[in-house]
Amino acid sequence: METLSTLTTPDWLFYLFAVITVASAAFVAFTKNVVYAAFALLFTFFGVAGLYVLLNSDFLAVTQILVYVGGILVLILFGVMLTNRSISVDIQSETLKFAPALIVTAALLGTLAGFYTVTDWFFGGPGAEITATSTAPNIGNALVTTHALPFEVASVVLLVALVGAAMIARRDK
Amino acid sequence: MINQVLQSLPYIVPELIVTGTLCLVLLLSLMMRKKSDLLVFVAALGLFAALAVLTSQPFASACLFFKMTVIDPFSQFFKLVILFAALIVVLMSRFSDEVNQIKKSLGEYYFLVVSMTLGMMFMVSASNLLMMYLSLELTSLTSYVVVGFIKQSKNSSEASLKYLLYGAFSSGVMLYGISIIYGLTGTMELSGINQVLAQGSANTAMLLIGGIMLLVGFGYKISAVPFHFWTPDVYEGAPTTITAFLSVASKAAGFAMLMRALKIMFLDSSALEIGNEFWPLIHGIPVVEILSVLAVLTMTIGNLVALWQDNVKRLLAYSSIAQAGYMLLGLATISNEGYSAVMLYFIVYLFMNLGAFYVAMLISNTLGSENIHDYKGLGRRAPFLSVSMAVFLVSLTGIPPTAGFIGKWMIFLSLINVKMIGLAVIGVLNSVVSLYYYLRIVRNMFLHEGEKEEVAIRYPLAQQLLLLCLMVPTLYFGIFFNPLIELVQFSVQMFGIK
Repeated sequence: METLSTLTTPDWLFYLFAVITVASAAFVAFTKNVVYAAFALLFTFFGVAGLYVLLNSDFLAVTQILVYVGGILVLILFGVMLTNRSISVDIQSETLKFAPALIVTAALLGTLAGFYTVTDWFFGGPGAEITATSTAPNIGNALVTTHALPFEVASVVLLVALVGAAMIARRDK
Repeated sequence: MINQVLQSLPYIVPELIVTGTLCLVLLLSLMMRKKSDLLVFVAALGLFAALAVLTSQPFASACLFFKMTVIDPFSQFFKLVILFAALIVVLMSRFSDEVNQIKKSLGEYYFLVVSMTLGMMFMVSASNLLMMYLSLELTSLTSYVVVGFIKQSKNSSEASLKYLLYGAFSSGVMLYGISIIYGLTGTMELSGINQVLAQGSANTAMLLIGGIMLLVGFGYKISAVPFHFWTPDVYEGAPTTITAFLSVASKAAGFAMLMRALKIMFLDSSALEIGNEFWPLIHGIPVVEILSVLAVLTMTIGNLVALWQDNVKRLLAYSSIAQAGYMLLGLATISNEGYSAVMLYFIVYLFMNLGAFYVAMLISNTLGSENIHDYKGLGRRAPFLSVSMAVFLVSLTGIPPTAGFIGKWMIFLSLINVKMIGLAVIGVLNSVVSLYYYLRIVRNMFLHEGEKEEVAIRYPLAQQLLLLCLMVPTLYFGIFFNPLIELVQFSVQMFGIK
């Protein structure tokens, strides 16, 4: 374990972003007001984007902000606010069966955390040292060569999601 | 690099045809909304063309798209089962009143069925965890939508929502498992994982946690206990055609993925001897124990709960959970023989289960009911239908001379050959229990008088022909099963393993 004095600036930044992510995610899970939850989600997404930056994944970080913060979150907010008005029932989220859930999740957390510390994780093969270059060209290359098939399948997944959503949302008759 | 992509393309022509078909169906439905028969024709023709191309390349064996997928007899076999099931389901949908009452969305319906087929075809050939996850998501996303196809029905919408919630949860857990396995091995490619595991450096406990999380995703797809909670509601609420499709094709795809992952990831190829029934497994992972427990739980709970069901679709849902249990028994043997027995079971299961759901659909078309008590007196009113239903149910129980007997017999035989007598006994006992609820339907049809008037129900010739296409193989393969056994013994070969 590192002591406080050995922590470098990136370490500090990591802990900062991690705290932001976890705390806001906890708020999303525990708040009863859906609008608050949606706004708290904003900080979760930002925190994850920060973690991506620290992992040298610049492209992922930018995409995270553009897609999740710029697109999905705004849509969620619109959805929450519009449906709040149109139906008379207040949308609230509740935490049910708190005690059993706490025991199960605590046990799970303990097991996972315990094994995480004793496990030898894979730290990249030879030549996997961190470089400060942009990852975007590599991702672009991978998408048309090594990952061409998953890329194309993902496009079918998106098409299906689009058609399916339109079918569900359409008003019959 | 781009050359390898181009060289891989000829091997996935069936998938490409299916992709083309789904685009065509979507475009046609936009241009000609009224002509639903044309949609059925195009979808069926596309699936048939894919089937034809598939059977023309039975010996193909190669690693494609930078080890993302493989083509081998094993994947070809399961694609065959899936495409055939899809073809039957498309034809069934043509006769389903439930589906055809929603004229506006028929285009989307066939589009989604064909996309689901595509997802399953990629599932069975995926050899990379990323590809497995993506194709699983493609299959799941389409199923969520088509399960809720009948928007007027509260059951259908509820089923869709339940399916979505369970599906999202289990695929989340599965992703977490994938990330753990990647973190341990540094690769998502199955044979690469196998190499790292064979060195024995990976932490076994963490690997077990990751593996179990991965199993949650597979277990959900094959509706194994304890990941089965969505099954009864979804099978009951969904349109019967989709229930039939999910219970056969989706289960086949999930099983194929599980079988490939198990064998490629955990087989210790350095200790593999030719002619040995058991595969040597990489030490420390209790694969056999986990599978045996799952299998016993799945078939016992499925069968016991099915005893109390009065809705035929719900009864068949629990029966399909139990059937997954028998198939898991075959997996638990961890031998080529067990694997080929499971594959044989899938051919048989394809005909008998699709058949049972097809009859249930035809009956609910005319009676408007799925309740077992309304089946009383059907033996006299619709003799052909009732007799074929009896054949399917007898086959599902596993009584000779139907094909279901051969399927079960092969699985139990493979268990006995690897000295797992206890599991075989539990399997046989379960079959005896299942006899009660299957024959309850038959008894109601033939031995009880109907309460209402005894008017004969007539079905169009085309509907009876499709029924015949499902019933004849169920009986034929019960007697002439040798070609099937040869087929599965050939098809059990996977790419990269002798």
